[in-house]
Amino acid sequence: MFLFRRRPAHLAEPVAAYLDAPRPDPALPWRAVPYTVIDVETTGLNPRRDALLAIGLVDIDEGRVRLDRCWQTLVRPPEDAPVNPESIRVHGLLPQDVADAPPTEQVLPMLLERLRGRVLVVHVAAVDIGFLRAALRRLYGVDPRGPAIDTARLALHLHHDQRVLSGFDQEPALQLRALAERAGLPVYAEHNALNDALTTAQLFLAQASEYESHGATRLRDLLRAGGCLR
Amino acid sequence: MDEIIRFLLEHPPFSQLPLLQIQRLASQVQIEYFGQGVPILVQGGKPSTFLYVIRRGSVDMVRERDGVKDVTETYGEGESFGYVSLIQGKAPIATVRAREATLCYLIPAATFQQLRRDYPAFAQFFARSISERLEQALQHRHATAAPELFQTRLRDLITQPVVTIAPDTTVREAARKMRDAQVSAVLVDLPPYGILDASSGIVTDRDLRNRVVAEGLDYNAPITQVMSAPAITMPADSLVFEGLLQMMERGVHHLPLSEGGLIIGIVNYGDMLRLQSNNPLLLPQRLVRAHSEADLRAYTDQVTATVGALLDAGARVSDIGRAVAAAHDALLIHIIREAEAELGAPPCPYAWLVLGSEGRYEQTLRTDQDNALIYADNAPDDAEAYFAALADRVVEQLVRCGFPRCPGNVMATNPQWRQPRAVWQNYFRQWIEVPNEEALLQTAIFFDHRPVYGTLDTEASLRPIIRRTRESRVFLGRLARAALRQTAPINFFRQLVLERRGEQRGLIDLKYRGTAMIVDLARLFALEAGIPETNTIARLRQSAKISSLGETSAEELVAAFELLGLLRLRWQYRQLSQGETPGNQVEVAKLTPLERRELKEALRAVAAAQHGVAVTYQTQLIA
Repeated sequence: MFLFRRRPAHLAEPVAAYLDAPRPDPALPWRAVPYTVIDVETTGLNPRRDALLAIGLVDIDEGRVRLDRCWQTLVRPPEDAPVNPESIRVHGLLPQDVADAPPTEQVLPMLLERLRGRVLVVHVAAVDIGFLRAALRRLYGVDPRGPAIDTARLALHLHHDQRVLSGFDQEPALQLRALAERAGLPVYAEHNALNDALTTAQLFLAQASEYESHGATRLRDLLRAGGCLR
Repeated sequence: MDEIIRFLLEHPPFSQLPLLQIQRLASQVQIEYFGQGVPILVQGGKPSTFLYVIRRGSVDMVRERDGVKDVTETYGEGESFGYVSLIQGKAPIATVRAREATLCYLIPAATFQQLRRDYPAFAQFFARSISERLEQALQHRHATAAPELFQTRLRDLITQPVVTIAPDTTVREAARKMRDAQVSAVLVDLPPYGILDASSGIVTDRDLRNRVVAEGLDYNAPITQVMSAPAITMPADSLVFEGLLQMMERGVHHLPLSEGGLIIGIVNYGDMLRLQSNNPLLLPQRLVRAHSEADLRAYTDQVTATVGALLDAGARVSDIGRAVAAAHDALLIHIIREAEAELGAPPCPYAWLVLGSEGRYEQTLRTDQDNALIYADNAPDDAEAYFAALADRVVEQLVRCGFPRCPGNVMATNPQWRQPRAVWQNYFRQWIEVPNEEALLQTAIFFDHRPVYGTLDTEASLRPIIRRTRESRVFLGRLARAALRQTAPINFFRQLVLERRGEQRGLIDLKYRGTAMIVDLARLFALEAGIPETNTIARLRQSAKISSLGETSAEELVAAFELLGLLRLRWQYRQLSQGETPGNQVEVAKLTPLERRELKEALRAVAAAQHGVAVTYQTQLIA
């Protein structure tokens, strides 16, 4: 109930629908749950100071990544948080690329509609969910709502299990690319929001299959191992 | 997304679609991940609703029949499955299971059907794969039930029991007997009486015409006066092709067939001609008519073309090897005879040896020459000059016929390899007693020798020495270690070990890391067992019981040898037909799934045999 504590009285329709959607039952087999994998490109790593530049997402239904249901958009940063030259090297987006893009307040309702009733999957929650939270708070005064799964956290958890079993004692590299390659997965061109979402989605499928092979077949199991948002 | 488009662009049949279609297709793709051992489609289960394209990993097709599960095929990256069920809308005919962690791109049924409707080439790709598979199964059945023409053995042509007459039979009585039995040849039973052995004589229609009627011989003369004895015979298991060659060379029209020293039937030229339509059996006839250099060159080209025809017809590589050996031997004999005709009669007995793959009856495409000459001891002084001139002519003529000189100079033109018997015996003794690196290298060439022409008995001269290898543990140990230098490119998980970098990336050498490994093993087992055979398959079969090999492994290696040879030859023909120089490096990605699977099985058999040798000879312990 505490989620509703800070809910303002009058919310725009998409935001209300997003917040009111029923949560997937954690007892469901993981394949029966709809997921949306999201990745963002930003002007920096600090959600309070930096701005969103691009959002990419792709759905997973019945255990399959749906390229026919992917979505991406560029986002125009506010005037006070311009594209900084340092970050261009990471995402390759120039100021003129995002100059005509819709601003966050236009993008967010569309995004929330895509996320409604689905489990969010991200790689390193601090960034992706951090920016989502900052935007939601700023524009609507609400928090994003769970459940969400962090594939970096799943990797750590799997690694921990492995370490217990085999005495392996190196920390895993948690970069998306390293993890995908270690799982024998193709890596799509990095630092493009949609491609990174796609790579994350594949990594998630591999991780979920790994849990499944150990008898952890339910959404609950994945949330316990890699859940990051209530 | 671009990667998915690029991936589809690289793999047939998608690569045939226009870019715009591929882009549209990529946006329809779904991606699914399957852990090792997870069933993707289930035999008799729900029909497939996707075309599955393997992005990473591999899958096994498992067919279950009468409770027996059999992995029929393995698919790898870039290959598709699920379309048979998808096209027919029926339950999958096999279970598809992830052989390792596998990532697939899934193309929804509606998209797949749309592409099939819009792009005939796309539709054909899948249609062809289905029929191809049926055809393969059919061919398999065909080959086991009714051997193809070129695989026919002489014994299959025997239609009547042998008619025999006693040596005191008169010419008239013999002719009547032939008429009554409606045969064109009879055997004359010579001592030891009552046993039709190789010493038997033969009388044919032609003899009666040429030696009786034409000569005005008394019809009451004993048949021994017109017969030919001993008759020219052939082993009953020889190929019809070889029989025909023998007839050409010896100028006869009937061949008694022997088995275990006894004659079990007679075949004639007519029987053989009835078999042939447009087939390679006609080849040797061209040689008889060959007079000019151009004729000879045309003949060798024809042999090459024949190999292609045999291959298409589904011949085994061992049969192709024998057919090619017979054809090339005929050519070689033809050339040597011409040289003799120019130079005059040889000053002493000699033998022309072919070595290496030719010596093993395993040559399929024209390769470099490997030959040697051995002549009698105590030869007259001019012998060396004569044989030098003979070797020059023969080697030169072979070059003109398309057999390049040996880059290592292992040819009869090299004085080192044109020596009297005693020198050759010394060579062999030396190689066996001091098995250093060079000796082991020579072993691989010279121990696989076979005389093609000449009267010197090489078997009697050289084999007793070669047989000494049986007692030499040091020699055999070194040979074993050399045979294990190249390891079968397959790992513990039954995966092919391919080159990962550089120009060799994704390639596998079907000779050095394929057939040659088996050839080396077979030579080792044969020398261990003291068997004079040079042919790899014969070596394996004959030494199975009396060497460290064992019968099961022998048959596995034989199958592996046939298979690797076939893959290699098929690949070389594919290259030839595309105007490329045939090589041994095969791009694994371009093999069909079935070929890939067979390749793995074959290499697994080699790896197992190598392991056995390592254990037997404790190869790690030999300094």
